[in-house]
Amino acid sequence: MKYRHKKNGELDLFKIRMSDAKLLRDAVTAISTLIDEGTFVIGPDGIKLRAMDPSRVAMVDFAMQKTTFDEYASDQETKICLNLGELLKLLKRAGKDEAVELYLDEGTGQFVITIRGKYIRTFRMPTLEASEEEQGLPKITFNAKVTLTTDGLRQSLEDVALVSDHVRIETDGEKLAMNAKGDIMGANIELKKGSDALLSVEATEPSKSTFPLSYLSEIVKAAVATSDIVTLEFSNDMPIRLDFKQTYDGTLVYYLAPRIEVE
Amino acid sequence: MPDDRPIFVYEYPSLEVAAETVKAATSERRAFIVVGNCWVEYRGRASSTLKKGERIFIVKEDGSVLIHRSKGYEPVNWQPSGSIFYTSIKGNVLTVKAVRRAPRESIVINFDKVYLLTVLNLIDEGEFCLYASEEDMQKAILIQPEIVEEGLKLITYEKKVEPGFIDVYGVDKKGRMVVIEIKRKTAGKDAVLQLARYVDSVKGIVNRETRGIIVAPQLAKGAQKLLVTLGLDFKQLDPRKCAEIVRKTETRKLEDFYL
Repeated sequence: MKYRHKKNGELDLFKIRMSDAKLLRDAVTAISTLIDEGTFVIGPDGIKLRAMDPSRVAMVDFAMQKTTFDEYASDQETKICLNLGELLKLLKRAGKDEAVELYLDEGTGQFVITIRGKYIRTFRMPTLEASEEEQGLPKITFNAKVTLTTDGLRQSLEDVALVSDHVRIETDGEKLAMNAKGDIMGANIELKKGSDALLSVEATEPSKSTFPLSYLSEIVKAAVATSDIVTLEFSNDMPIRLDFKQTYDGTLVYYLAPRIEVE
Repeated sequence: MPDDRPIFVYEYPSLEVAAETVKAATSERRAFIVVGNCWVEYRGRASSTLKKGERIFIVKEDGSVLIHRSKGYEPVNWQPSGSIFYTSIKGNVLTVKAVRRAPRESIVINFDKVYLLTVLNLIDEGEFCLYASEEDMQKAILIQPEIVEEGLKLITYEKKVEPGFIDVYGVDKKGRMVVIEIKRKTAGKDAVLQLARYVDSVKGIVNRETRGIIVAPQLAKGAQKLLVTLGLDFKQLDPRKCAEIVRKTETRKLEDFYL
């Protein structure tokens, strides 16, 4: 609560306006694939959120700079914890080219969402107890870096999901390979340098690591609406970092812990 | 008196030697074992008398007391750590009195024959890993929430609320908040009341319908009525099954990569 209340109450802690609600809606959709409750930090430079999923296997690191918004006023940092499912329901009510405004009603502690289109709709939702802990990033040295189309990645994962519930991602610096072994079936996908889906591949040493598709597919599915290009970074048996290039000034990055390969 | 060797043994010591050694051992906070013919009086949580017989009397470094008969895995008399010892000889009887202040309780053990007295100086720093711990149960629920209930979605674990930490916190398929309290052994009234406090606390924060579920291998007989009265649920879960789920899961935690 200490983050939300000011003594004089003269200024709103923040007031934000975005003329196309879709950007925000897609971002919240992408975040909510991992977490149900999220603490947004609304600061002078923009909005950010960094959180691990409840089972601590994956993490989302999101930021949207203030330049993304049509109006952005926040002279200090405010932490607001929201139920993302509820938030998404409300944001989905905004149609094409409808603007969305966000602010905090300090009197009631409610988060207020105004959608301005053919008519004005104002929704209020409760804020939850904000997390106090500053989530750090895992410390990993990545040996491989591959950039490809988000759609190419999504389709490849759909392919491997037909035969297994996990995928081994590997590169030798020339091509990206995705291998899946099921009980009776297998799948092997290769993206070579020069193929349409693969934009660049580099590796300081051959690297491979295996990841659960239950997480990886959901992350990619959720992020595909926000991004055309994704950069994967990984090393042997280390977490993978997925950086989905955003159309706006901001970041949408995920980390996912590996499966241990059992021979 | 014993030096730093791991054990120091007296076979058939006289009561005088035994008394002197026990006094030294208790004042130096050493663990020791006495085997002999004894009788025991206990006053405290209940009261009991143990008639004469040949038994094994163990005192540990922290002042825990155990009296074992030659059969059965449980001690016949015991007292938790923190006992204070008074050793004396009257006539042909060696008496060791172990007193605890809170709760007030005392064991008086009298020997008329001592066969063996051994003073221990043991080093034990190895970790004890329990096969199926409460933590395993928590992990298993995080990995497979459906072992508690179909459609359960988790929000977080070890969530801090006013009365303490919620083991697991989530939302059920009808959108109600769920507070889960895990017990590795039989869950009693204490666990039910603890859960009720957490649920109340969460209700105060979220302003939404909130359920409480006790997850344990079984519920104590007396706790069932209380559980129903408070509108809470119980889910039977075997800790060993949980340990299996945890072992089968090969996915690492992202937390493991924070050096």
